[in-house]
Amino acid sequence: MDILIPPLVLGGLGMVLGLLIYFVALKFGVEEDHTVQDVEHLLPNYNCGACGYPGCKGMAEAIVSGKAVPAQCKPIKKEEIEILNKYLEALKTGTPVEATAK
Amino acid sequence: MTNLLTIAFTAFFIENVLLYQFLGICSFIGVGKKRSSSLGMGLAVVVTIILAGMATWAIYRYVMEPLEIGYMKTIVFILVIAALVQMMETIIKKFSPALYKALGIYLPLITTNCAVLGVAITNITRDYSFAEMLVYSAAIPLGYLFVMYIYAIIREKLELNPVPKAFRGVPIAMILAALLAIIFSRFGGLI
Repeated sequence: MDILIPPLVLGGLGMVLGLLIYFVALKFGVEEDHTVQDVEHLLPNYNCGACGYPGCKGMAEAIVSGKAVPAQCKPIKKEEIEILNKYLEALKTGTPVEATAK
Repeated sequence: MTNLLTIAFTAFFIENVLLYQFLGICSFIGVGKKRSSSLGMGLAVVVTIILAGMATWAIYRYVMEPLEIGYMKTIVFILVIAALVQMMETIIKKFSPALYKALGIYLPLITTNCAVLGVAITNITRDYSFAEMLVYSAAIPLGYLFVMYIYAIIREKLELNPVPKAFRGVPIAMILAALLAIIFSRFGGLI
């Protein structure tokens, strides 16, 4: 039965450490701001650069910080821009919205 | 007391982790380009090695040695170090966003830094007591920080000097590391 000791110790240690990480994350975890990511998901994600920003991530950051407007995006479709505008409007009024990512 | 001083001096100068043991070289060449980033990485390594040294030493002494599974130390230590860095990252993120911004990108690098594992294993193979382990685990990363900072200063100066085309970039950095290693090898005559 000696052969069972190493896997049990390693497995047990892994479990203890995993649980520790879980509880540390539960206690000290930080809610991150997902706004930029949500806006990026609502953009076409072609990374064409036609808006003048480096890729859709740069454009999303600019939109969130108020430096750009969604209309600057060239390839976005009409119904997509409506969803994006609705999301930004809700963001301004402070009502939490679920991003309808594709 | 003299014993502890000898260990500290030896670990810091003579057996310097970068220039004598050749551990953690990847971060030495990579991060040692700028003073600010070398300082950030160095401080992150100091905290990690001290914590990891204590955790691995305790696990080895009180769990693995009584069960006679010392041969498992490499894999167990890797597991412990990775978990420890992960926890540290979460806690730093919560309590000090500024520190997290400064150290954040270096923390994942440390998980796979061989210097951390090297110190943990050396603590065991040399059969250090708790105090000796603590001194060794503090002196080694401080030596790392010291050498890395000197290296970064010289490399920043080097950027402004005309280096022959064939030596520009990494080659001259390697030659510089070799020269530093030669200088540090002379400390061996002190003890």
